[in-house]
Amino acid sequence: MENTITADHFLNPRNVGNAEEPSFHGRAASLVCGALVRFSIQVDEAHAVSQARFRAAGCDVMVAASSLLCEQVEGKNTAAAAAIGQDAVTLSERMETEKVRCVELACNALLDAIREYSDAAREDWAGDEALICTCFFVSERTIEREIQTGGLTTVAEVTRVCNAGGGCGSCHQLIQEILEANDLPR
Amino acid sequence: MIYLDNNATTRVAPEVLDAMQPYLGQLFGNPSSAHALGREMKRAVEQSREQVANLIRAADVNEIVFTSCGSESDNWAIRGVLATRPEKKHIVTTLVEHEAVRNLCRLLENEGYEVTWLGVDQNGELDLSDLRAALRPDTALVSTMLANNETGVLFPIEDIGNIVREHSEALFHVDGVQAVGKIPIDLKNTAVDLFALSGHKLHAPQGIGALYMRNGVSLPSWIIGGGQEQGRRAGTSAVPNIVGLGAACRLALKDDGHARIEQLRNRLEDEILRTIPNARLNGVADRSKRLPNTSNISFAYVDGQNILMHLDQAGIGVSTGSACHSTTQESSPTLKAMNVPYPVAQGSIRFSVGRYNTEEEIETTLSVLPGIIEKLAEMSPYQEELKA
Repeated sequence: MENTITADHFLNPRNVGNAEEPSFHGRAASLVCGALVRFSIQVDEAHAVSQARFRAAGCDVMVAASSLLCEQVEGKNTAAAAAIGQDAVTLSERMETEKVRCVELACNALLDAIREYSDAAREDWAGDEALICTCFFVSERTIEREIQTGGLTTVAEVTRVCNAGGGCGSCHQLIQEILEANDLPR
Repeated sequence: MIYLDNNATTRVAPEVLDAMQPYLGQLFGNPSSAHALGREMKRAVEQSREQVANLIRAADVNEIVFTSCGSESDNWAIRGVLATRPEKKHIVTTLVEHEAVRNLCRLLENEGYEVTWLGVDQNGELDLSDLRAALRPDTALVSTMLANNETGVLFPIEDIGNIVREHSEALFHVDGVQAVGKIPIDLKNTAVDLFALSGHKLHAPQGIGALYMRNGVSLPSWIIGGGQEQGRRAGTSAVPNIVGLGAACRLALKDDGHARIEQLRNRLEDEILRTIPNARLNGVADRSKRLPNTSNISFAYVDGQNILMHLDQAGIGVSTGSACHSTTQESSPTLKAMNVPYPVAQGSIRFSVGRYNTEEEIETTLSVLPGIIEKLAEMSPYQEELKA
């Protein structure tokens, strides 16, 4: 472990444990090496991650990545936190490690926790229009409108146009369903 | 560094270095040369051969052939036996062999050989009735280790040899690499046909091994070239290394430190198992059935690689059976064959004591380890299991 950030976060991991309740949990495991990592996050009313905690049994890189991720996402809204979780490569470069897969495992557990939050937030949403993307607050109506005016056919296109689906990704299936429902014969 | 990884390799003993030194300086020459320097080299090589033969109690010095390492000896023994009996296409070995044997036998499966892989029980021991049942008229070779490199569990090669001889025409090869220098070996009175050993496991340098071939067992030449090693393995003899191996064998035979090593190992093992709640021994509890220097202990639900690195940070060197520990991403095949549950196998640490360890080093290790395990247990996602 040449990199001092990696060594420091491995030997003295921050944010070990569970976030205070109510919290949302995510897990990721590797079938290759058997590592297991668990994230728990608390999200405040402004949709910002107020607490991020982890527990892990895995290699040094995964432990350090988990510790770093917790530090990075605290205070960020879920969209920004998800963006961090989706970029294992940048974190790996900062850690100067080639074990991107081990970093990815930590990222996946974080994303899993954010998705659990998003699913719950969507469920609880009391607004007039059904909320689809909880990371970027995009309603079903907005997505439908974009699909119809732009003739969109894929989730990626929807994300590009209105950000929906660009965060944790928990709404991709829902966007796909909206796409199919609006797939008008041309 | 407190070095508790003596099954990986050992420090070259000062006595060995002293013996080798002249052959890296003023004493040089090719043992095949007829002049005085050549004769001196030849004499040194033959003296070492005798020292190796003495340590493993070979009946005849010419049963010893020098190789470059233990893996070479294993490869030669196995490939050699198969080449001499092309009509026999069956091999019996175990699931817990060192890679040198295991991976070669896997390869041979692709080359048209049928391999019977003997399993072990949860203590790491063989069931000899399995061996008997596996033997067939077309069995060319039985290959087992003497001591397991990970757990130190010993296989009863006397009994295995007798069964092989009584119930088959197969030859019996033993990978003795991890055992030589640690326990007494008596090949003269054991039904073993081939036996591999490696110098660096017993305080000789790396790059020297030997293969014992019982008189009457004739294998094809392994390297073709000059007539070295009675034409069995060509190539200029590595005289300094050979002298080092001889000196190491002499040292192992006369060394009275074996009992001390065992005491240190026992103290380490007893205290860890007594004081650390999630610690459990891998391998048979009966110490007479294990190498006297090895303890393989699992710390359930924490990661072995993490333990290793925290110990490393504290200046203590050990090994782990955890999957992510090295170039291979495979978790320990030995612990897998012993049916050790995955989260337990992942937390396995091998402590292997050697002749240069001190009581103080063992006490230091015992004072550092519990804190590391506690910290990692706190971090473990298997918290619920740990509380139970």
